[in-house]
Amino acid sequence: MASAQAVPVDEGANLEYAKHIRYWRRNLKTFLPHHYTGNDSMRMTLAFFILSAEDILGDLDGALSPEEREGFIEWVYACQLPNGCFRPSPATDFGSSRNDDNAIWDPAHVPGTFFALLILILLGDDLAQVKRPEILAWLTKLQRPDGSFGETIGVNGRIEGGNDTRFGYMVTGIRWILRGTVEGPIDGIPDINVDQFVRCIQASETYDGGISEAAFHEAHAGFASCAINALYLVDRLPLAAHQTPDNKIRGLTNLPQTLHWLAARQTLTIDEEDAFDTRGDETDSAATCHDAHSFVKLKSYPSATGEQAVRTQPTSHFELQWIGVNGRCNKIGDTCYAYWVGAPLKVLGHLDLLDKKAIRRWLLDKTQHIVGGFGKVPGAPPDIYHAYLGLVILAIFGEAGLKNVDAALCISNRAIRHLESLAWRKSIVG
Amino acid sequence: MARKYYHDDPKWSDVAPLPQEDYGHHPLAAIAYTEEYSEAMGYLRACMAANEHSERVLELTEHIIGLNPAHYTVWLYRAQTLSALNSDLRAEIAWLNPTALQHLKNYQIWHHRQTIIDKLGSPDGEPAFITAMLDQDSKNYHVWSYRQWLVKRFDMFDGRELKWTEGMIDDDVRNNSAWNHRWFLVFGGTVGEGEKVERDVVVRELEYAQDAIRKAPQNQSPWNYLRGVIRRSGLPLSALQHFALEFADPENRPDDDVFSSHALDLLADIYAAAGKTELAVKALDLLATRYDPIRKTYWEYRKGLLEAEGRKEETGAASAAAVETAAA
Ligand SMILES: [Zn+2]
Repeated sequence: MASAQAVPVDEGANLEYAKHIRYWRRNLKTFLPHHYTGNDSMRMTLAFFILSAEDILGDLDGALSPEEREGFIEWVYACQLPNGCFRPSPATDFGSSRNDDNAIWDPAHVPGTFFALLILILLGDDLAQVKRPEILAWLTKLQRPDGSFGETIGVNGRIEGGNDTRFGYMVTGIRWILRGTVEGPIDGIPDINVDQFVRCIQASETYDGGISEAAFHEAHAGFASCAINALYLVDRLPLAAHQTPDNKIRGLTNLPQTLHWLAARQTLTIDEEDAFDTRGDETDSAATCHDAHSFVKLKSYPSATGEQAVRTQPTSHFELQWIGVNGRCNKIGDTCYAYWVGAPLKVLGHLDLLDKKAIRRWLLDKTQHIVGGFGKVPGAPPDIYHAYLGLVILAIFGEAGLKNVDAALCISNRAIRHLESLAWRKSIVG
Repeated sequence: MARKYYHDDPKWSDVAPLPQEDYGHHPLAAIAYTEEYSEAMGYLRACMAANEHSERVLELTEHIIGLNPAHYTVWLYRAQTLSALNSDLRAEIAWLNPTALQHLKNYQIWHHRQTIIDKLGSPDGEPAFITAMLDQDSKNYHVWSYRQWLVKRFDMFDGRELKWTEGMIDDDVRNNSAWNHRWFLVFGGTVGEGEKVERDVVVRELEYAQDAIRKAPQNQSPWNYLRGVIRRSGLPLSALQHFALEFADPENRPDDDVFSSHALDLLADIYAAAGKTELAVKALDLLATRYDPIRKTYWEYRKGLLEAEGRKEETGAASAAAVETAAA
């Protein structure tokens, strides 16, 4: 799907390739420390991040013996439920005690199923044991009348989980994997209501051009990314000027404004100290460092703090060396948002609206950790989530030594090509 | 908190814990659980497998939530147990309050709270609790989302809620969550989607955002709000020209006399819409080179669009002239 990018040339900053491999091999081969207990019910997600990071680093074959590869594939299939979908962790498995009455507490799970499929694909499995019709039929039952999707089906058939775009993204990801962008019933298997899903995303577009979790909630890059990636996966992004209108409902009612909002996520506020508490302080001083502050002349200094801050502010443009990316207006930069902002821009064909060189330097100089991986902010210890998304955005930027990735599915193009080569899928997608 | 175990607790002697399966020799993302967590989860699986809904299950789920608040089925199971036991829901809220303060970033807790408050049918005490949460983190996404639900569920679209929101913006004029909440109150409640907004409301909102901008001209939140109001009310963007010129005036003032990059951004759009391409390009140049260089590539892109537009018009005019000539 995606093609290779021009590599930003920069002498100073380096991706500590060997350290990242060491970091990810440790995650792969040894127990994760107990502070990951809060992720116990999403082990499939962690597993995907770990294996996909190894893939993007080109270390998958080096790290895995054929026996381990088979063993991991077996582990994923062991998470498959009788209805064909996947649980996200063995934590809910009742073993031989499972029955129809308690199955509700060990439910089929959207992220569990999405990440299980992605792992199988990147490990080279042919998905022959995946129950396509069952999974696809289940997706239609997860959709609410407003078009949004839930995470699981609970007591009395209630659709559980938030109605934000994350689940819609994963549902459309599963659908794309199992049937591409073809719409309508296939061989008697029903399809989700794509039009209604697009309407739901339109409703969560915000007054400032962003996208939120639901109508009238605050614009947030994570939800915007999921929404835009999902529109791409159902082929409902706005048409370009040269494309012939097809009368389909398409998402992003105001593309220029959404691009404006995405570009506005670049920030010079990259340290906790930059984002000093403005509570009770009406100054708009340079020291608050809200992006253009350093460059804008100040009209008045309403308080002593403000005046002091202005006097001590360095005047050069040195900060431009590092540009962070935030997830919401007036928030601090955070590694993961480089992906959540970069991925939709890539999908929309506008990655160049970001200052890739300065963002790359921020990641490599500021949030890359000495033991490998990336933390959330400068000085933070690496964690699997930020370490993975930091790596992926660098791959999207075209970092040398990393595999090309598909921005929307967040997986290597090599893995996507493997999926696209499978005979059963070719017969559907053509 | 003291560790808690079940194997020697007489209250649990009738239960055989269900140990976790980890499927062969190659588990993925295996976590070094504490003994305490492993054991508690074994008892939880045993209870769930037997569909036991009892007081001791409430204690057990409380224990596990303390160790892993993101466990999605434990919350659903707890909700089902509360309902089966017909438990005192006020007591549940009293327990949830400190738990939420301990796990600020957790999502499930808010979903659970919503279910309980919905059943209780009253928002009593909720606004005060939300204020306590926002004291910890004034931009907590879950808290603001929950507040919107509360306002909708109990029809709190009145002056008091707007006043409270103004207080939040007074506390921190850069709190974009608070600005968004204001938008929700003004345009998401009584005014229907696409319905005409009353003139005095439009005037009030424009003035409110403009006052906030005068306090902190480089704060993007009210600029976004201002544009939003203009679009929502169907007014032309040029209605903001006079205001924007307070902060930058590429036509009449020197290039170093700029107080807000967002004013330049807005003026670029206003000039472009009025066909004053040269001035629009100048505003974008000032942004790219001096007042917002971190978005240089974005401003250059906008300039490129204007130039492409200009070329198209020229070609259009040229071909129209050619047609005329041919016709003559
Ligand atoms: Zn993050």
